[in-house]
Amino acid sequence: MKFSFYKLLIALFVCFVGWSCSKDGTSNAAAVSSTGKAGSLSKFTIVGNFLYAVDSRLLYTYDISNPVNPVKTSTASINFNVETIFPFKNRLFIGTTTGMFIYSIDTPSLPSKLGQALHVRSCDPVVANDSIAFVTLKGNTWCGPAVSGLYVHDIKNVFQPVLLKTLPISSPEGLGLEGSVLYICCNNDGLKVFNVANPANPVEIRTITGGYFKDVIPYGDLLICYISTGISLYDITNPTNPVFIKLIAN
Amino acid sequence: MRFILLVLCVFSFASCWTKVKPVNYQKVWGSKPIYSGFTQAKQISYSSTALPVMLPGNIYAKGNLIYQLEIGKGIHVIDNSVPAQANRVGFITVNGSSQISIKGNYLYTNNYDDLVVVDISNSNTVSVVKRVAGAFPEGKQYYSYSQPVESGYYECPVFDSAVIGWRKDSISAYNCFKN
Repeated sequence: MKFSFYKLLIALFVCFVGWSCSKDGTSNAAAVSSTGKAGSLSKFTIVGNFLYAVDSRLLYTYDISNPVNPVKTSTASINFNVETIFPFKNRLFIGTTTGMFIYSIDTPSLPSKLGQALHVRSCDPVVANDSIAFVTLKGNTWCGPAVSGLYVHDIKNVFQPVLLKTLPISSPEGLGLEGSVLYICCNNDGLKVFNVANPANPVEIRTITGGYFKDVIPYGDLLICYISTGISLYDITNPTNPVFIKLIAN
Repeated sequence: MRFILLVLCVFSFASCWTKVKPVNYQKVWGSKPIYSGFTQAKQISYSSTALPVMLPGNIYAKGNLIYQLEIGKGIHVIDNSVPAQANRVGFITVNGSSQISIKGNYLYTNNYDDLVVVDISNSNTVSVVKRVAGAFPEGKQYYSYSQPVESGYYECPVFDSAVIGWRKDSISAYNCFKN
């Protein structure tokens, strides 16, 4: 009884601090199309004719086949402290402070939960491809304790994601995936570039410094970085070797 | 005698009780909300004057433009046609906003607790084509400006108006506190 009361207290606390954490949430890699491309810290995402929006605990689905008249088709309860939503094909990856949830959007109007990879709570941006989900956990924040780093999950069986690799990295935040190259914003430690051709063994190629990196969008040949002092642009014609183009200062 | 003393004693306490004043909480230096009515705070407009970025948020790329949230205030528009000359070119005022997504010519964002669809096809202006009132109930209480930026005491805001800023003032310590 005492234990469950303690858990309740923790839940209330998490609930209370949640939204401050959720302000910094991740997500996305929709093709460069009519929907454009979001950073990995988003809570809104559009897939096809549907807008998916999360607040701290609910997932709202709006049919936007008529773009000027969104119609709500579903409201799903997810968890406390939803941070980010990231779409890939017919899946939604939802990063929360207690783990990553995978929803199917095979029926786009009614997302249904397929699986989850739970871990100690933290603020968790996610990017993914067909078989792998990359999640960054940032420990020692509002979001609670965790070993800061990159967590690679095998999601071939979405019902049972398997943790393939944990790579400790200090203060990772937003991330972006371009083919087999993964960019991870590491705040003051810069932007780390990894080769993830073998996802079970990400290889660090280089680190770009010169800013407090928060989030990133690989956008064709351009890497758009949200840093604390502005937006910096890099040429990634060679994805493993970003070349600085310009800083749009705040 | 003892009885009398006891009665006196009780009376003396009773006299205290009749003099109870409201607890006088200590005054502290803190933040006080600056309010605006929601009707006014929910006005959406476009300015082709670039504004400085104060509280940066999410980024979004679409076509030759990059959008960046000014958390709780709106959306910066950056012309990225030539990356080497990319620059902010305008600002869409959307108070209470924290998210962006775009499809075609329409930008979807939150305006406090409302979901709004904004037509962005014209580079000189924007127009709200749809507002779903109360789509995100949390947004009425939890938005960037519902807490001051600095830590310390602040007057707990009421939620029937929108907080559009904070000013320093002497406030009661019986209030909200931000760590």
